[in-house]
Amino acid sequence: MIVVDNISKSHLGRPVLENVSIEIPEGTNLGLIGPGGAGKTLLLKIICGLVKPDSGKVTIGGIDVHKLGATQLADLRFRIGMLFQNYALFDFMNVADNIAFPLRQEGTLGELEIAERVKKALHDISLSTIGNRFPNELSGGMKKRVSFARAVIRQPPILFYDDPTAGLDPVISSKIFILLRTMQQERGTTAVTISHDIGGIKEICDFFAMIDRGQIIFHGNRDAIERCEIPLVMQFWRGFSDDDLDG
Amino acid sequence: MQSIAAKLIRPLHGVGQSFNYWAFQIGGLCILMARIMVNMLPWRWQFDGPETWRNLYRVGVKSFPIVAVTALLTGAIMVIQSGLYIEQYGAYGLLGWGAGYTILREIGPIMIGLMFSGRVGANNTAELGTMKVTDQIDALRALAIDPIGYLVMPRFLAMIIMMFLLVVVGNFTALVGGAITSQLLLGVNMKLFAWSVITYVFLDDLFHGLIKAVAFGFAIAIISCHFGLNTQGGAVGVGRAVNASVVGSAIAIFVLDYIITFASM
Repeated sequence: MIVVDNISKSHLGRPVLENVSIEIPEGTNLGLIGPGGAGKTLLLKIICGLVKPDSGKVTIGGIDVHKLGATQLADLRFRIGMLFQNYALFDFMNVADNIAFPLRQEGTLGELEIAERVKKALHDISLSTIGNRFPNELSGGMKKRVSFARAVIRQPPILFYDDPTAGLDPVISSKIFILLRTMQQERGTTAVTISHDIGGIKEICDFFAMIDRGQIIFHGNRDAIERCEIPLVMQFWRGFSDDDLDG
Repeated sequence: MQSIAAKLIRPLHGVGQSFNYWAFQIGGLCILMARIMVNMLPWRWQFDGPETWRNLYRVGVKSFPIVAVTALLTGAIMVIQSGLYIEQYGAYGLLGWGAGYTILREIGPIMIGLMFSGRVGANNTAELGTMKVTDQIDALRALAIDPIGYLVMPRFLAMIIMMFLLVVVGNFTALVGGAITSQLLLGVNMKLFAWSVITYVFLDDLFHGLIKAVAFGFAIAIISCHFGLNTQGGAVGVGRAVNASVVGSAIAIFVLDYIITFASM
């Protein structure tokens, strides 16, 4: 269970997140939606301990993430996979080394087994032939898929996806969503997925939260969001705009 | 009334901002130094072997040609500058001493230090800065890898080791440049030049320069890593960080040079 309790965070004196509270039960996937700049990525970084909040706390399995020492935090992060919004692939490594990197750092598998895993991961994302290429030789969509493969290669029980299908064509997007769903069903992963692809996250998420201007304006399951009458939530969920969103 | 107060306060606002900036930079440098030192403790020793080799090659081997050319020309210029007076007084036996003493103690470490900060330090800041603004540093942390152990330690070690070695090679190359120039332009035999160096220049002079080389390597490594890791604001931010790193390194080189020279008197 991941519990986000009353998190607030400011940047240069401007509040970015205000009293955000969410619960993500074990084995479920939370879809986090909201306009650009609402604070979704920052919230994700706070949940996995990359950014410290000004106040509030985040617990994963009852452990307060921001009170952990360096070694304990590293142990926790071995159980977490994260897909970054702008890929965050290591420029100085080729694609195969990027995907193999988490396994090599973990140090529990031999090179042969790592190579096998990387081959399978590349096959799963339909990029079997690009292992020797460097990130600067890839398109945005390819980078996203490689970044996805790196995030899940360790098969961590907790996964955070920041816009996993941005820049991908509908066929690959659908394939990625199927992979996410399969992983959750087979391994019972707990996940948070930020996405603007409402059709996709409808299929893979159990719960949804909408964040706007740093505040949670909706949190509930699919039935609740279907029935929600908050205008911005309705517009996002149904994909229309009959009003000024900034209004 | 309010606008008068605002006008009065505005200069103070600038002073406060400057103070905050410098406090952040100096504090950040101290924290980075402390974290590197902690990482060097035997029971906390953590660094990546392949990444260190990659940096030793990139920092040292790739810098060798530019350092060799700079040193060769520096040695030649030293001899040309002193040649006028040497000819005037006929003190040909002091030509090697003059060139050797200044090259080993001052010009060698400073010239190579400045070249090193411009080439290696700037490159290091740009690389780390780009990694920072494209979330690669956060990606490392998310994968349970400490950026200090994985990125900073290899660069830190490589820069100190290679700065030391480049100054050794650079000093020798500069003396060769001086000897060739003295023979070709002043007609002073290279053997006389070498005799003058061996007779009048002491090991102390060499060690004095090598201590500076290590100190400069340390400063360039810390400053370039600090500005790289604290880059903010995309491509513009990377440019600003590189600029600050090169200026900071140059200032540090001259300040350390002054301190070491003063302390050794």
